[in-house]
Amino acid sequence: MARDDRNPTLLALTSSALLLPIYQGASADAPPEFTEVGVRYSRYKEDDILGRNAFGGGSERYKIDVAQFRMLAPVADDWSFALDVAWEDMSGASPWFVGEVAGQSPKVIMSGASIEDTRTEVSGTTRYYYDRGNAGLNLTYSDEDDYESKAIALDGSLNSEDGMTTYSAAISTADDHIDPTQGSVPTNTLSATKDVSSAWVGVTRIVSQRALVRFGVSYTYREGFLTDPYKFKDRRPDERKEWTLGTGYRHFFEEQNAALHIDYRYFSDDWDIESHTVDVAWYQNFGQDTVVTPFIRYYTQSEAEFFSNLADEEARYFADDYRLSAFGAFSYGVRLSHDLGNWSVNLDAERYRTDGSWGVYNGEVSPGLVDFWRYGVGLNYVFR
Amino acid sequence: MGGPCRLRLETNEGVDATVAIAAATEEIQRLEHKYSRYLDSSLTSKINRAAGTGTPVSIDDETAGLLNYANTAWRESDGLFDLTSGVLRRAWDFKSGRCPEQSEVAALLPLVGWELVQWDINSVYLPRPRMELDFGGCVKEYAADSAAVQLRRHGVSSALVDLAGDMAAVGTPAGLEGWPVGIRHPEKKDAAIAQVWLPEGGLASSGDYERCLEIDNQRYSHILHPLTGWPTTQGLVAVTVMAQQCLVAGSSATIAMLKPLDEALQWLNELGLPWLAIDGELECHGSLR
Repeated sequence: MARDDRNPTLLALTSSALLLPIYQGASADAPPEFTEVGVRYSRYKEDDILGRNAFGGGSERYKIDVAQFRMLAPVADDWSFALDVAWEDMSGASPWFVGEVAGQSPKVIMSGASIEDTRTEVSGTTRYYYDRGNAGLNLTYSDEDDYESKAIALDGSLNSEDGMTTYSAAISTADDHIDPTQGSVPTNTLSATKDVSSAWVGVTRIVSQRALVRFGVSYTYREGFLTDPYKFKDRRPDERKEWTLGTGYRHFFEEQNAALHIDYRYFSDDWDIESHTVDVAWYQNFGQDTVVTPFIRYYTQSEAEFFSNLADEEARYFADDYRLSAFGAFSYGVRLSHDLGNWSVNLDAERYRTDGSWGVYNGEVSPGLVDFWRYGVGLNYVFR
Repeated sequence: MGGPCRLRLETNEGVDATVAIAAATEEIQRLEHKYSRYLDSSLTSKINRAAGTGTPVSIDDETAGLLNYANTAWRESDGLFDLTSGVLRRAWDFKSGRCPEQSEVAALLPLVGWELVQWDINSVYLPRPRMELDFGGCVKEYAADSAAVQLRRHGVSSALVDLAGDMAAVGTPAGLEGWPVGIRHPEKKDAAIAQVWLPEGGLASSGDYERCLEIDNQRYSHILHPLTGWPTTQGLVAVTVMAQQCLVAGSSATIAMLKPLDEALQWLNELGLPWLAIDGELECHGSLR
């Protein structure tokens, strides 16, 4: 609403007003008033690998069908409970290793036989809402043929007295078991475990009536079997320390009835991988019921210190996994959401394309780089 | 609430409109009972009765929040927005058609001054006998916002709370970008001088309308300057401001009314909220024209 939304008088008046209990009640730190349920179907489909990048000609790659159910319900005055269930069906071939014939560029050898797997994930979150924030406890259990994961997470937020700043923090830990399916390719282990622990702190500040900035830092520690069990030339350290710095800016444009979101993330780990992600999204409202959001993301990363297309199996650690190579990627797409009374429908489509030459870091270009499509449809209902 | 109050709402399927309306109405009544200076049982009367007695009056979070807001508005307006200035009405009878003597006004001025008020988050105290706090300068706007919160809580997604011109909108009417609001003509009682569209948020107006004196072609606004005890004679006739909160819109309009014309227009411009102001020549100014 403000044309010059940095006016200090307006900021002072607004922030003092927001201290009053009624305006706080109207803010996000109130439990949901009504039970909501939602279902969603989405598909992730990797492009076929090109014949020039694979021995044995082009091949289908991975595809995943995902069905999700979500329920969010108020419990008493200050609590909510959310249940999320997801079922995934995965199939297709993935790169087994990279090889080279003298005089030609390296090519991927695919796993051949199609891997079939299904995964079920059940996640429950309970959240308590207090005057100046909320706190949540989440338990997640995920099970698939070759993998089992149990995770617990705690998060909390606190709004400053003037309501203009929100401090958030989260910690989580997961205990994973890997039991690779035997048969399609020889595996790197018969059974293994890994633990992942993570901590995050962030701050969000309303800088004007129409804009906010956020900043966050996280640290993740992984320990255990971090090697890909299905990749022939893969032996990774059994420890990985990761740091991320993230920052974002949101601005609402009154005349356009739209919001611009810009986010940047820096990632660094002790495997020598460094990455930058830039996200730009335009949330365009049409009336009160429709939001169309085109978005674009750029991602670039450096290669892991032990990555090589022709993995040196004499070395202590090695990997030819394209996910550890240097590359750049663009993804772009659009999300649409429309409310119809108590119903709302969501549609989204995203295209992800990657190329060794789009990155800012030097390194060998992996022949296994992947492009994919992702699209989904969801339906929600609110019991008002 | 000192004028006609209206509630307009569009109901969604599954929303019990009567429950929502009852909750909003109750909320407005609650605030009226708590803050009206005309009711002996109100907190305001209790605070005013305790003036000069040496005993502070305990207050709750809501009242402390309103005092804190009033303090910010006082500071940001260089003393123009002052909850203690209501006492000046003892000298000004706008129905009488006469101006008070300067001596009558001067006698009241020692009772005006927000800086005298002793308050913290737990209590408030007016140190001089006969001093008065008057929440009228903000509570009607606050009540409009609070009623809107109640409607939202009860699932209403489209409604307009109108407390004698102080408005809070929940959503917009179906198919429209905002609520059509007519801005009253300062001289023609039932005519509109302009129409504006209020999207979700608050709108407040401050103006002379019938509550002003006109003596020897000199217009005396009913909004009294806390430092002089007299109305601003060279200021605006009426002003309407929109803000996310009706509370903010209301105090912005009040402050603008207390400034001389040029200063008022500049201040409103710099504030950055959508506004419409009418000067003594009935000319409209502002971004909502």
